[in-house]
Amino acid sequence: MTTCAIVAGIMPNVTEGRVADAATGVRLATRSDESDLRELTSLAVQGDRTAIESLLGHLRPMVVRYCRARLGRVSGHYHIADDVAQEVCIAVLSALPRYRDMGRPFASFVFGIASHKVADALRSSVRSAVPTQDLPDGPDDGPGPEETVVRYIEAEHARALLSRLPDNQRELLILRVVSGLSAEETGNVLGMSPGAVRVAQHRALTRLRQMAELESIA
Amino acid sequence: MARTDAVLDALARRESVAFGVEAGDVAVRLLGALIADVDSHRLSSVSITPST
Repeated sequence: MTTCAIVAGIMPNVTEGRVADAATGVRLATRSDESDLRELTSLAVQGDRTAIESLLGHLRPMVVRYCRARLGRVSGHYHIADDVAQEVCIAVLSALPRYRDMGRPFASFVFGIASHKVADALRSSVRSAVPTQDLPDGPDDGPGPEETVVRYIEAEHARALLSRLPDNQRELLILRVVSGLSAEETGNVLGMSPGAVRVAQHRALTRLRQMAELESIA
Repeated sequence: MARTDAVLDALARRESVAFGVEAGDVAVRLLGALIADVDSHRLSSVSITPST
């Protein structure tokens, strides 16, 4: 069976939901006992389909958020970022049989792959194909046009300011706040102690604030 | 620093931080907007098919 066939069989079906719907999953992933996740990872590495599905169900929303925050929208949509997130999940599944627990959490392995995939996507010049969105079958229960525009402008502003931060500060804030990792987990991904994360995140937020305030004055 | 950690924790957990000093913090507001945008936009339909 090919990796793709395996992925197609077990990839959690969240394509019609909002990422926010999976917030519980994120909390489970970030707040659950680390040993439980380690055991889940161990079972997944051995090919346990239920464990793989559960592991991906935990990780995928965080990966989607990470890719969306890093890559932003193209023509108002997150298709590119979501495609990259899907590529990350496929790459994780492909690498899973070869994964060896070296003491670092599985999330650091996943976000290492995600970071490379995002860098590849940013380097790629092939970002022009924009698929059209399916027409909705029913009324959209999302925010209205005005709120959507305001949120979009502020989100783009945040993304622009984050892109001007040093790489390590930008990565830290996105993992910590957008992907929803704890200080401990962020430290595990970035190879920092929780204390160092707390110091660095304070500096990063201060710098972000200063840049925003300077822009508002100018 | 502890205050920053608490605020970022709240943002990470998708809890409201629109109160107190943080209500007027432009950095917190912008991060909140980015989170809201990333979270609420519908996931595009993605199909995975074996390559030929």
